[in-house]
Amino acid sequence: MSDDYGHDEHHPSPWGPHDWGHGAPHNSFAPLIMAIGIGIFLLMFGNLFAFGEYDSGYLPMVFVGLAVIASSFIVWWRQDMSFDGTYEPRSSGVPFKNIQIRKVGVWVFLMSEMMIFTSLFSTYMRYRLGIPRCDTVFESGDWVEGVAVNCYEPASQLIASSWWHIAPGAINTFALIISSFTIVQALRWAHKPEGSVDEEVRRKRVYRYLGATWFLAVLFLTLKMVEWFIGFHVPEIGFLGIHEHEIHSLYSEGYLISNDHYQSHNYVDEATGAHMVANIKVSATMFYVTTGTHGAHVLGGIIGLTYLTYKAWTGAYKPQSAVSIEYFGLYWHFVDLVWVLVFPFFYLY
Amino acid sequence: MSRRLVIFSILALAMVVAPTVTSLPSGISGVKDTGCNCHGTDTSDSVIASISGLPESYNASVTYAVTVSFTGGPGSEGNANIGGFNLWASDGSFATVDSSTQLTGPSEATHTVEGNDQSSWIIEWTAPDSGKDVDFVLHTNSVNGNEGDSGSSGDMWNKAEATVLGFGPPPPPPVDPFKVLATLILVSSVLLSIVVLYVFYRNNPDGFEWEKFAPWITEWLTSTDHKKIGTLYFVQGLFFLGVGGIMAMMIRVQLSSPGNDFISQDYYNQFFTLHGTTMIFLAAMPLIAGFANWIVPLQIGAPDLAFPRLNALSFWLQPVSALLIFTGVFSGAGADTGWTGYAPYVVTETAHAGVSMWAAGQLMLVASSTLTGINFLTTIAVMRAPGMGWFQMPLFTWSILVANLMLFLSIPAFGVGLIQVYLDRTIGTGFYDVSAGGDPLLWSHLFWYFGHPEVYVVVVPAFGVISEVVATSARRSIFGYKSMVYAMAGIGIVAFIVYGHHMFTSGMSPTLRFVTMLTTMLVAVPTGIKVFNWLKTMHGGSLVYRTHTLWTLGFLVTFTLGGISGMFFPSMGMDVHLHETYFVVAHFHYVLVGGTVFGFFAAIYYWYPKMTGRMLDERLGVLHFLTGFISYNALFWPMHRLGVVGMIRRTHTYYITTDDFQALPEWAADWNMMISISAFLFFASNLILVANMIKSLVRGEKAPADPWGGWSFEWMTSSPPPTPSFDPHDIPTLKNANEHVANEPGKIGKWFQRLMVADDTVEEGSH
Amino acid sequence: MAGVTPLYDALWEDYILWSLFVGAITFGWLYHHTFYYRSDDGESPNVDDLKVGVFPKDYDNLRLEVTWTVLPFILIVWLTYISWAPLDAVWSQTGPDGYHGSECMEGESSNNYVDEGGYVRSDCYHVMSIDAQQWFWEFDCMELAGDLCSTDFATVEGETKPLLNLKAGETYLATLTSQDVTHAPKFTNFGMMEDVIPGVETNLWLPATEEISFLMLCAEFCGDNHAYMTAQVTVNG
Repeated sequence: MSDDYGHDEHHPSPWGPHDWGHGAPHNSFAPLIMAIGIGIFLLMFGNLFAFGEYDSGYLPMVFVGLAVIASSFIVWWRQDMSFDGTYEPRSSGVPFKNIQIRKVGVWVFLMSEMMIFTSLFSTYMRYRLGIPRCDTVFESGDWVEGVAVNCYEPASQLIASSWWHIAPGAINTFALIISSFTIVQALRWAHKPEGSVDEEVRRKRVYRYLGATWFLAVLFLTLKMVEWFIGFHVPEIGFLGIHEHEIHSLYSEGYLISNDHYQSHNYVDEATGAHMVANIKVSATMFYVTTGTHGAHVLGGIIGLTYLTYKAWTGAYKPQSAVSIEYFGLYWHFVDLVWVLVFPFFYLY
Repeated sequence: MSRRLVIFSILALAMVVAPTVTSLPSGISGVKDTGCNCHGTDTSDSVIASISGLPESYNASVTYAVTVSFTGGPGSEGNANIGGFNLWASDGSFATVDSSTQLTGPSEATHTVEGNDQSSWIIEWTAPDSGKDVDFVLHTNSVNGNEGDSGSSGDMWNKAEATVLGFGPPPPPPVDPFKVLATLILVSSVLLSIVVLYVFYRNNPDGFEWEKFAPWITEWLTSTDHKKIGTLYFVQGLFFLGVGGIMAMMIRVQLSSPGNDFISQDYYNQFFTLHGTTMIFLAAMPLIAGFANWIVPLQIGAPDLAFPRLNALSFWLQPVSALLIFTGVFSGAGADTGWTGYAPYVVTETAHAGVSMWAAGQLMLVASSTLTGINFLTTIAVMRAPGMGWFQMPLFTWSILVANLMLFLSIPAFGVGLIQVYLDRTIGTGFYDVSAGGDPLLWSHLFWYFGHPEVYVVVVPAFGVISEVVATSARRSIFGYKSMVYAMAGIGIVAFIVYGHHMFTSGMSPTLRFVTMLTTMLVAVPTGIKVFNWLKTMHGGSLVYRTHTLWTLGFLVTFTLGGISGMFFPSMGMDVHLHETYFVVAHFHYVLVGGTVFGFFAAIYYWYPKMTGRMLDERLGVLHFLTGFISYNALFWPMHRLGVVGMIRRTHTYYITTDDFQALPEWAADWNMMISISAFLFFASNLILVANMIKSLVRGEKAPADPWGGWSFEWMTSSPPPTPSFDPHDIPTLKNANEHVANEPGKIGKWFQRLMVADDTVEEGSH
Repeated sequence: MAGVTPLYDALWEDYILWSLFVGAITFGWLYHHTFYYRSDDGESPNVDDLKVGVFPKDYDNLRLEVTWTVLPFILIVWLTYISWAPLDAVWSQTGPDGYHGSECMEGESSNNYVDEGGYVRSDCYHVMSIDAQQWFWEFDCMELAGDLCSTDFATVEGETKPLLNLKAGETYLATLTSQDVTHAPKFTNFGMMEDVIPGVETNLWLPATEEISFLMLCAEFCGDNHAYMTAQVTVNG
């Protein structure tokens, strides 16, 4: 085609693997396939659900979309696997002089992520402050039995009602914080200069720390599902004075985005036995969508961690390529930070 | 011999054809001369023929009883025979009701022997379906009843004619506008593909082989090179500019007269929604991205963008999102909410099913724009050539930087809003469920927080182009480079605090109304600085008028007009009357088309030689400019006045003053018609550009590296540039004509740099 | 020249004048330079010696740049200032400090008039309500007397639309509500409109100063029949 400045004639396949000696890939099928997969997924999801109605016929196609997205990741990673840090361009100009370009990119990306969570929090503030709380409405007596009243029922009413109830959330918080620690450890071991550590030890440490991070992230999502949908059983532990009881999931308590006649044992008038019925769609929506968006980011992290752990297991992280772990670590710290904000605002307050 | 054969054949043909021609009863040379052939008698005015029973206008397939009669002449009671008639109709069919009449053809009737003794006859005529007028010709013969010879001497006849009106042409079957749209898109795509294939063939006949096709298409589908991706964006942008234009024309046909019925209101609502969404997200933004992708790395001396694969992802998200956005369109269920998609209508079930896909498609576009923003911000921050400090970048690069900064900080809010709408419409969340306490104004805030910076995002790159073109055309440095940069940055910041002006009539608090009024007015100050700087650049210059110069001058006129008309809105006393009228439509089309699109036409004429290696034809370019500029102003200028007299936007039709009430004045209908015609002319004028591009690809003259005498780095490369655009090991250094050393970081740069801690395990250097 | 209301017209004239002024400067400047600084054919002296790969010479003039920053700024401040009072008038607060006083007592009349500034002032106002639905308006005169306000239906060209009868010289405060989605009643000849948002109550002043009969339109897209959501407003003597 055109003059090539002395590149040799090799053309790495657009399906990967890629020879990073000559810079970033010039061709890749991954972007095209990813875009198509996202399109299929969104199209099918929009048919799977319509105004709360579920049409299971579209479920296979939704999975097809997800599979296409997954295959695009595979192509992307096939090209990235051979990356060993030799090609890591750095900034030439002020103010990021000598900082890796990819690191600058991650920070810029995190700026846009901040804007997403800011918008979600703004929505939360608007509704939380603008709609009267259900307990306030209940106490004011300004309700009629059988008529659903619009009020804001924060999830904390259910979750923060007992230590056992908050346990999954608290464990999750610690899990994320510890996972931020483990990923720093992985980076530290990967960074140790050549010769100062046995390569096999390095490999084991790095992939075990990365694996631990992965495990903690999966634990996070698992506990979240327990909290949302499954609930758990607390057995009798006599010597600790713990009675046997159920911790109900939010789902079984009726805390749902579709619930416009929510009833809770908190809102029963002791004198008359009348139940206050509340339309909690907005509050449930706020809770599930905000924590869900955060959860989606954790899921994204898990996908990235899968790749990193596998690559670490192959022993590819050496001091020269260790910085890739740092890029992910920046993202992961951000996810952790968002959780540290989400948890008190949505679980405790 | 063969000539004789031909003549013989013609004659034979004529003889075969001739007898099948039915001649009128009037014969060849006229009525009264020959009259009824069968009797060969004289005409007389004493005979009065008449046809009665025919309606004034017929209904299809209805049967009428027609009476033909005559008075006068020698025929009378007591004669052996009294009279006869011949009735011919141009259409329809006759049927006899008794034995006094007979048919001599499907639509010709005469008397029988039994009917000879009458002076009036009844016959049935069944009207045709055609709706055309039907002519009747009646000849009546008044018989004197004498014996001898053929019995016709002394008879007299006369003629009567009648015409029954039809009901006009049968109504055409209703047209499905989306079928029309789909057909237009399909046909133009096919034509374009054929032309593109032809261009390729002409350029390289040998390369046109099947074995070469697979690698070629793979290259285009997988390339991460900024130039290819730029071209892809460009093609997409121009294609959707055409699609959006077709939709606009359908809107204009509907509005060309009041009470028009060209497309139903249902379809109309979908058309204006898609026109807006297509033009902004699928035409304007990709065109900007196309130029940004092509030119920014060249201008800053970078071999490619910072993240090439991410760049490719940004692009591919766009055509796939277009498929989603247009889903439902061809089945008539496309989004019909307006491009602003106000809640709660956007989450109701009365809004069409396509709204969910419209939201989903735009979510993909949000992702695409965010990734583009990350890519460009990083590239411009980190990959500038040696010698190019922040204040030595070309102004087009600055404009892309400011635009991307605005874009990627504002679009996540829109993304969150879209997720909310998409979730409301799918899993049934309650973000905008009013009955549950949802707040429609929340959407307005999220949308306009993005929407207002968005319109600056599309216009600021045009500013960048204008700066480049004015300076190069005038052969001068741009006047006030630093203040141009500060003005763009100022616009970028103020853009975030003015969005309330879209919500003035929504019950805002008075304080906020005042504050937003002030900030909106203030945005005119940096914009004005830029306009004055451009004008001052021309001062003392030596202007060479190429097409890009003409479009730039056109921009200066139309954008200034648009900016001035925009000043009327923050003044609340006027906004309350002008909101949602055609004054708004005029304003934003002046700044979006007269601003962004004209700016990008200038960019096309300016950078096309660089991108393709061919020069565009200047004469076609001037023709494009003249026809486009004039038809554009005829199209949008009248809308200002229409808005002031109260024509509302987004309406399927409009009302003219009647005796009962005042509405729009009489001339509004004529003006709308004129606007519609201008719309078609404007659309047609842009086809000249397409023709020019194609012609130049086939046989344009080869372009040198620097046809216009620009100074920035893109003019150093060949036309088209190689891949990678610059040798990564040998990036050119920007020299500086100013004496002071300008590429040392300033105080802020130095302070910021100290905050950054680079790893100390590496050496200096960039690659 | 605009012919809407005196308030609007006064603002409009001011703005047009300033627009013409700014336009004359800008376009005059543009046209002058377009012709005066043309280069002769073929020849294009490189005034600032532009060379590829060399950042051009500085070309600026601080005094000029400051001038055309400060002068437009002053103009903007002036335009904002003259728009302030109309803002207060259009969204006048109720009560003695407002333009329309407090609610009228039984039998009281607004006696509205247009003052020298072009603002409508009234002694008091009458309360009515407008409810919007897809796709028709419902006027409710509430407790007002029949001659002050009445509702009816008008049939125009085969279409039936709601009819609101008001009285000239009276000022009304309409409370606006919506049953379903956002709408906006636009009273073109009063130069007034306001959005109607479900779940929120907004207000709109309707100063009926002269006898007129006009078509009221919906000015916020609300779905299929948005264009046909009209009503007739008649102001009687």
